[in-house]
This record gives sequence, structure tokens and C-alpha cells, in this order.
Amino acid sequence: MARIGVYVCHCGLNIAGVVDVEKVAEYAKTLPNVATAKHYTYMCSEPGQKLIQNDIKTHKLDRIVIATCSPRMHEETFRKAVAETGLNPYLTEIVNLREHVSWPHTHEPEKATEKAKALVRMGVARAQLLEPLEKHKVTVEKKVLVVGGGIAGIQASLDLANAGFKVYLVEKSPSIGGRMAQLDKTFPTLDCSACILTPKMVDVAKHENITLLTNAEITGVNGFVGNYEVSILKKPRYIDEKKCVGCELCTKVCPVKVPDKFNENLTERRAVYIYSSHAVPKIAVISPEHCLRLKLDKDVCGKCQAACEAKAVDFKQKPETVNVKVGGIIVAVGSEVFDATRMAELGYGRFKNVISNMEFERISDASGPTGGKIHNPKNGKNPKTIAFIQCVGSRDKRFHEYCCRVGCMVTLKQAILAREKIHENIRIYVCYIDLRAFGKGYDEFYTRAREMDIDFVAGVPSEIHEKPDGSLYFDVYDKSTNKLVQINPDLVVLGTGLVPNRDLEKISSLLHASRSSDGFLLEAHPKLRPLESAVAGVFLAGACQGPKDIPDTVAQASGAAAKAIGLLSTGEIEIEPLKAVVDKDLCSGCRICESICPFVAIEMKTEKVKGEEKLRAEVIEAVCQGCGACSSACPTSAIKIQQYGNRQILTQVDAGLAEACAEGGK
Amino acid sequence: MSIVDLMSMAKPNLESRKKILAKLKGKGLANCFQCMKCTSGCTALKLLELKPNEIVKLVNLGFVDELPNSDIIWTCVTCLKCVERCPQKASPYHIIMALRNLAVEKEAKVPEGFLKAVSQILETGLAEPPQKIVTRKMETVDRECLNLPKIRLPKESFQAALMKAMEEK
Repeated sequence: MARIGVYVCHCGLNIAGVVDVEKVAEYAKTLPNVATAKHYTYMCSEPGQKLIQNDIKTHKLDRIVIATCSPRMHEETFRKAVAETGLNPYLTEIVNLREHVSWPHTHEPEKATEKAKALVRMGVARAQLLEPLEKHKVTVEKKVLVVGGGIAGIQASLDLANAGFKVYLVEKSPSIGGRMAQLDKTFPTLDCSACILTPKMVDVAKHENITLLTNAEITGVNGFVGNYEVSILKKPRYIDEKKCVGCELCTKVCPVKVPDKFNENLTERRAVYIYSSHAVPKIAVISPEHCLRLKLDKDVCGKCQAACEAKAVDFKQKPETVNVKVGGIIVAVGSEVFDATRMAELGYGRFKNVISNMEFERISDASGPTGGKIHNPKNGKNPKTIAFIQCVGSRDKRFHEYCCRVGCMVTLKQAILAREKIHENIRIYVCYIDLRAFGKGYDEFYTRAREMDIDFVAGVPSEIHEKPDGSLYFDVYDKSTNKLVQINPDLVVLGTGLVPNRDLEKISSLLHASRSSDGFLLEAHPKLRPLESAVAGVFLAGACQGPKDIPDTVAQASGAAAKAIGLLSTGEIEIEPLKAVVDKDLCSGCRICESICPFVAIEMKTEKVKGEEKLRAEVIEAVCQGCGACSSACPTSAIKIQQYGNRQILTQVDAGLAEACAEGGK
Repeated sequence: MSIVDLMSMAKPNLESRKKILAKLKGKGLANCFQCMKCTSGCTALKLLELKPNEIVKLVNLGFVDELPNSDIIWTCVTCLKCVERCPQKASPYHIIMALRNLAVEKEAKVPEGFLKAVSQILETGLAEPPQKIVTRKMETVDRECLNLPKIRLPKESFQAALMKAMEEK
């Protein structure tokens, strides 16, 4: 006979404000095998935990049912508290009275109380069938894979490497540096992006603990927390990395010109090129989709090969797959910038003098196409009137509902740079909806912009027009003066927001990491676990988790590195025992579970039974996530999830239906 | 001049607001964050005594008493630009339509042009009657000399249905 203790938590007023907790506790006392039932303001607090622990001793309890918030929140807390008394922690059952009852049923307290009673009844019935389980320990690989070599990946890699962990840093482009390498100056201090980023890029390349893999992508991830096996595809550079000295002789002779992505397509590069002036590694690369010889697969051109004194050009290079074993993975693939051609009314792509804020960065950058002079793309002259338009693609239900979090500050910075760089008396307008300057030193930066004679117009235009003479104009209604203003800018900069990286689709499916409705990667908990994904051992850094500026990205990257260090530093980790187990006598070897398992956790093995060879499923415990797909698919009921077997679940369902049937199926 | 007396609108009328919201049938206006896109691009802005963004906010706050009597609801040319561009799907167009319906219900004064259009539809089934046009050769032609079939008049059942729909409001 089980002796069950039932504990109903008020969660302040979160639960008690709707559910009559006292009634629920009284009701629990009437249930079979319940030795005691109590309610308390905060079960998760120290006195709450003490209450349970004392009762376990005085009432000799052997099963604990706690009716409280979601098990995702405090199941671990309560298991620890129970374990301290010597009772097996897996004999604890959580009933969710907050997310399942009080929050969704705020307006119907009586029905909510009835539902709470039913859930407690079900929990009590299930608790009697819980089995004691033990955690397992596995050794872990003290290495980390960092995906993405922007500032987030760079910071995380350096922190890990400095802590003595081996790091594989994988970057898709031929150079690390990411978005930040394209920026001119950074808010709110106006220090130049390259000056603070390039030393870190060099540190990464030189660090003995970091293996840098550029021009590479991850193509396969197997294994589990602490023991991931990752396949990395190294795309050929067609340049021998050991021989190339980055002299750029080849780039001068190559006859193929294509738009330069690093300069936001404002200039052209050759088919053989060096990614940027401060690329790390500073090694040339040939793009096979542009190079005549590689594209045509014929023995033509070859000018770069002839020009190269180091004999580094090698057209025979093949893609190469590198397999690495790592304990944890940090995803730092960053974001992309909204494609403003989707907002046709603003004329981006149609009017030459309408540019995105990323293009402005390149124009303003000393190493950019204009050498840092702010020129009109149309005629190469200094603009006389610049207009910045905010929230392009962000805060817009047609495209992205979220705030891009950087657009306002980027525009303030660019407006200040334009004012500083162009010495003539030009007009600068910023058309905004709400101006958000929330970070440390940001509002002071906004003040600085206002003091520099920049005109802030409270409103955004509906569309931009081109006059027959090719000049631009737009109307914007300023809500503070109630005036319709006509602005005739000769440069329009669109405050395009950050959008999810298109690689996230592939990466999220490789890692089984979920994404939130906005398309970014989903953190395990928005407040308490912002650096982790829900998959154990996979951490998030930077703008792949949501739009972020540089300070926030660097902070999150260091945090993710610390999380990875915390996971791997002891060399072993504990694994939850809530996994699938196979009853070998029932298994018919049909392989349905093997085909259905999303985590590749089932292995088929042949066994000799009474002289006959038989195929049997076996669960790789460390890989299994306990999702239960195999269990519901198994035609012979040979696989069950520990603690969630047919009997445990059906008993719970029976208890749920019992009273409903007694009431005549109401 | 303006029928809307701004001073008398200081008290919200939540009952009328409720009626307008019911007419909107779920088309939201609470999401409006006053970005000014509707007003900046409004085709009829110079003819309006209230700005499109103001209408959204007035209804949102419940300052709605005078709105059905205001000129603005009839001055809107229904070009739907604000519907197209509104980033929050809270365009003033839907509110203006709701207000027009409410005005008819209250038997407020409806501009003549609208009444003409209604009787036109009742009689001919068309919002615009067929007109003579001038060709590139500067000849004035009508349907007959272009050998186009005569336009049939609507059936009585159509008229009955339209009348019924209008009575139901």
C-alpha cells in the first residue's frame, strides 16, 4: 500500500486567486491511499520544501504529489528536495495547476477548482504506479563546436579557448568577422568596428586551442549531450591554404567581375578574391559558380594560376568532410538584414538613391567603396538632404511583427556620422514611429544626435515618389506639429531590420533545436535559460536567438561559453532515466521503432534465442530523449518509456474519467 | 465648416464605441501605434477635417459621438491605400465604413452623391451609367454605334433583394 502526500501550492495568487486551494487539499484527503494533504503559499520556497520533507518522515510517505506550476519550472527543485530525505526522487508526481488550470481559466473559478480536483485525482492514481529510477553518468568530450564566426562565435570561441577547452569554429564564408566586419563605427561610443573586431579575429586564428574552419558548413549531427559527432563539409577554396600569402596578384588578373557581397553589391570583385581587406584567414578563394574554368569544366583561362608566384592555385581541390567529436555546440549563426525590395512602396531597388542601412555602413566605412566619403550612389556627389526612414520590415504585420532592436540606434549613429563627415550644411531628417534608445549610454547618444541639428519627424511616409527629373520626394505627416511635410531628399536610408538567417531552417533540423514563431531559435526559457536551446548541450549566442546589437551579442556569447564550460568542466554528466526500454521477449524485430525515432536512438541487434537468430531493438540510452514515439508505434507494446508505460498512463486516464462517468458523463 | 466640435468630445462614449466595434466585426483598431502612414499617404487628406490616424485614435478612446455626423466619413475616396500600407492591420478605412453604416442607421444626412449612386443601382443595376466616349479620332461614340448589346435593366427580384438588404442595414 502506497502512502501518498498531496501538496497544493498557492503560487502566491497565481493559483490561489482562481482555484480554491483549500477545497482541493480537502478533496485530496478523501482519495485512496492519501496519508496527508496540505496547501501552502509557495511550495517551491524553503519552508515549502521543508514541509514536504518533514511530512515524508513523520507520515512515512513513499509517494509525493505536488499540485503546482508546470513541471518544466520546478520538477527538478522538488525532486531534489525529496531526494534529500532519502526517498527516490522519481517517486514525485507534478500536477500542473497553473499553466493548465488557473491561467487559462481565470474567469471561471468554480469550474477551475473542479478541474484542479480532477487533475489531482489523476496524479494520485498515477503516483501509486511510479517506480524508483536511478540517474546514469556518462563521460563527456571536453571540446566545443562553435557554428558561425561573427562576433558572437569569435567571443564564445576565445572565452572557451582561454578556459582550456578545444574549440572548432566553423564559418560558412571564406573569412570570419560576420556582420560586424562590414560596419563602420559602433554606437554609442563611435569607436570603429574594425579597430575592436580585427584584433579578436587575429586572436582566433592564432589561438592554439581553436581550430578554424572557414568556407565550411555543418552537414550532420549525431549523438547526444557530451558526445556529439559532427560532420563538417569543407568546401574547396581551389587555393592551397598553406601556400597562399594573400598577395592579391591573382585577383588583379582574373577577368570575371561579379557583385561584391561584402560591399553589399555596391562594387565588384573578381571570381578569385579575398573576402575583405581585413579577412582572417587572408587567403584567396575562387567562387566555382563564377570562375570560367570551374564553371565550364574546361581547360580555359587559368590566368590566376599563371600569375600566382606561390603556386597556390589548385583547380583539382575536392570538398572534404571533417568529422569531429564534441561535448557541446554553440550556435552563433547570426541574422540577416531585411530585403527592402519586399516593401515596394519605398522604391528600394527601383530608385538608386534609396539605400539600406547596411549599404550606408559600407559607403561610410573607410575601407568601403567610397573610402568613407558619403556619396550619392546616383551621381557620386555629397547629398544635400538625407532622410532616414525607420521600421522597414519590422513592427509590421505584413513582414515581421517584432522590433528589430537595433534600427533606431543604427540610424542615430548614421545620422551623426553624416553630420560629422559632410561639412556642408545639409539637412538630415529621421522619420520614426517610436524612437527606442534603451541601452546603457543609448539615450545620451540620442541627445547627442538632437544637439547636432538633426530633424526628427514623428511619422513615417506611406510611399516614396520619383519626379520626372529623377529627384525623389515623399510626404510625411508629423504628428507633433500636425503638418504634412514634403521632403525632397537626394539620399534615403531605410532602417531595415534584422531577420532570421535563412540557414536556421537547416541548422534547427540538424540540431533538433526549435524556433519561435518569429523564426529565430527558441531559448529553453525566455528569462531563466536564455543561453540554452531545449536540446541538452546546444547553446545559443547572438542574433540567431533574436535581433541583437553588439553589446548584447557579446554578453550572450560569453554567457553561452560559460554555460558550455559549466556543462563539460567535470568531464562527466548525469543523464535523466526517463528513457525508452525494450521488453526483449515481446520485441518482434519489425524495425518500426528504428524508422520512427527522430533521434536515431534505436539500434537493431541480432540475438540467439533457443538456437535461432532473432532481430531485437535496443535503445541507446544516452541518445534517447524519451519522446515516446517508439512506444506508441510499437505493434507488440514491447517499448515503453520509463514512468510513462501503458499502465501508468491508462490508470491516470481512468481516474480522470471515473468521476465524470459517475456524474453521467457530463 | 466643421461639424465636429472638438471641445465637446472630451468625454468618451463607451456605448457608441461598442456599436462601432461591433460593426468592425473583429477588424482590429487597438493595434494602431500612430505611425502616420495612413495620413502621410492619404489621397483625400487635404479635404479631410480629421486625419485618418485621428479617427482610429478617437474611436479607440471612445470619442465617437460626433463622428457619424462628420464630413470625413463621406470624403474618404476609398482608395484603400491605408489598408495596403498599414503595418498593424488597423487601417482607418474599416472604421470609416463602419461609421458610414452607423450614420445611415441613425438616419444622419447622407451626401447626395451617395443617394444618387444607390438609386442609380436600383434602377439600372450599375453604379455608373454607360456614357458616350471620345475615340482617338475625336469621334463621340456610344454603345449603339459600337454595336455593343443594350444593357439589360435589372430584374425586379434584384431590386427587391437590394431594398431588403438596405432595410436590414
